[in-house]
Amino acid sequence: MDTLTHIINGFSVCLQPINLWYTFLGVFMGTIIGILPGIGPAAGIALLIPVTYGMNPTSALIMMCGIYYGSKYGGSTTAILIRTPGEAASVMTTLDGYEMAKKGRAGAALAVSAIGSFIAGTIGVVALTLFALPLASLALKFGPAEYFCLMLFAMTAVSSLTGKSPAKGLLSTILGLMIATIGIDLQSGQPRYTMAVPEFQDGVGFVVAVVGLFAVAEVLRGLEDIYRGVSAPMVRISGKLWLTRDEWRRSIGPIWRGGIIGFIIGVLPGAGGTISSIMSYTTEKRLSKHPEEFGHGAIEGVAGPEAANNADTAGALVPLLSLGVPGGGSTAVLMGAFIMYGIQPGPLLFEKRPDLLWGLIDSMYIGNIMLLILNLPLIGLFVRLLYIPSGILYPLVVAISVIGAYAINGSPLDLYLILFFGVLGYLFEKADIPVAPLVLSLVLGGIMEQSFRQAMTISGADPAIFVKSGISITLLLLSLSSVVFPILLPKLKEWKKGAEEGA
Amino acid sequence: MGEVTDRIVFVFTLTLAAVYFYATAQIHTYEFGDPLGPKTFPRLLGIGLLVTAAMLFVEMWRARKAQSGKEPQNPGSDRRHFFVVGAVVIWTAVYFALFTTTGYMLGTAVYLVALMWYFNAGKPVANVATAVLYSVISYLAFTKALGVALPRGFLPF
Repeated sequence: MDTLTHIINGFSVCLQPINLWYTFLGVFMGTIIGILPGIGPAAGIALLIPVTYGMNPTSALIMMCGIYYGSKYGGSTTAILIRTPGEAASVMTTLDGYEMAKKGRAGAALAVSAIGSFIAGTIGVVALTLFALPLASLALKFGPAEYFCLMLFAMTAVSSLTGKSPAKGLLSTILGLMIATIGIDLQSGQPRYTMAVPEFQDGVGFVVAVVGLFAVAEVLRGLEDIYRGVSAPMVRISGKLWLTRDEWRRSIGPIWRGGIIGFIIGVLPGAGGTISSIMSYTTEKRLSKHPEEFGHGAIEGVAGPEAANNADTAGALVPLLSLGVPGGGSTAVLMGAFIMYGIQPGPLLFEKRPDLLWGLIDSMYIGNIMLLILNLPLIGLFVRLLYIPSGILYPLVVAISVIGAYAINGSPLDLYLILFFGVLGYLFEKADIPVAPLVLSLVLGGIMEQSFRQAMTISGADPAIFVKSGISITLLLLSLSSVVFPILLPKLKEWKKGAEEGA
Repeated sequence: MGEVTDRIVFVFTLTLAAVYFYATAQIHTYEFGDPLGPKTFPRLLGIGLLVTAAMLFVEMWRARKAQSGKEPQNPGSDRRHFFVVGAVVIWTAVYFALFTTTGYMLGTAVYLVALMWYFNAGKPVANVATAVLYSVISYLAFTKALGVALPRGFLPF
């Protein structure tokens, strides 16, 4: 029962007053970041990396994870009150949440999303506690070839599942990998693509890329929206912040199902919070006896997706913590944070730093309780944030990004880089190219190339090493199917439609 | 507009592949080291980019086939918002270029006031107050409390 001891010891780590404080700080900032439409968890975490430099890694990571799962709570508030997802994954909540609010049930919508988030978030953490270690023991058998195949799978899944076009997802992935090749090559010591800029010898900083792509790009988009004058009127909180008996009865099923759907989707690479909330929404609509109510303020349409996107965060931490390979944009940023603290997430972490690992996982139980309190009785305070005019908010986000970017090296070059990546992210959005694949491959690119070359060194430059073990063959097949599946899916639908019409 | 954008993306992908192949050829290699050397992985990426370009081409071709018969999409007539975004980008670049000269506090305050004046028009007092307070408080908090070095510029404090 070694593991059980570690899990219990984890509580002794996360219950230390200092770590409780950082858990609170994390989920508090997470709620704010979730509520504010201009800035998401990825940018929030990236901005904190330079500022928290030198902090105890356990506390810093507890805080950053708090931002990650806390933002999902906050995102629903904005979705319900102003029909804008405060955080990308709460987009499904805008459909029925805003309608509920217009009907005077804003209180109930906020309550069900907070309670649903809490129940499903806790389901997710329990599942994370149970599944992390078995998966990590499997990963201990991985050699460089298997790791390469695993990263390949994560990237192909992300590139073909985020966004509408697999080709554009692939473009984003390869762009990230190319940026990752800038700098001194670790094995030969040769500078690559540095364009004679000495700062580039260390590579393009991961923080500046994320801050640019997520924060600055969002500011440009937001300012454009202000110029065009698009925004939905804000609905004030109405009704008690609680549910009627009937609403309870209708919500509990969607919350459980959403929790399970969200966790499973979260573990899989590529899918992420938005897809899990869409899956939950369609499931509930299909199961409902009154599907026509969906889109007109059905509480199931708030409870299910909100539950799903919260369980998803815990699910997404499974591959990051136990395999060391994130399956999406936000977890890639978290991985970047781990690496900044000199900690390599993955199977070895369970042996080397069980205190940090289980302290972190256990802190999520406590964080979820704190979030329930912050988002239910105290939600009225947070809602005031929505009264900040976006014409003030967006410029401030740039100013905050400047501190975050400049603090890393004290180099003005990093400022130009956040602007460059900001413009890139803005143009990506205009061209329907997803950003998450770029961030993932930027984080993994260096490790991926190293494991590729290590594998080839072991085999004496024989590529057959990648099909020598069952694990790598399986992963390669999974990568292949994740590329082929989205291309075949529309054809299958057409074919099925044709067959039905023919019958 | 979608079609034009996709064409730009396609051309960009091909150009990038060409530039990347050229830049890869410029990397020095020696006889020692690992069997692959520093060029192999980038070359694979370049090939991947060519595959991407081919996929983009197929997608464009399919989209066009699906479009034919339907009315051509109305291109966005109003492009003025691109000028606004462009102006914000240039203004931000100016702020960054003068960052070490003006210092964090002064530069940020001026930068913020100008943006807020345009995007939060009609509330000069609130805008100036927010910009100045934010610049001063964040400067003091980060340099004094958190030990982050921000440029002081020509201000005496």
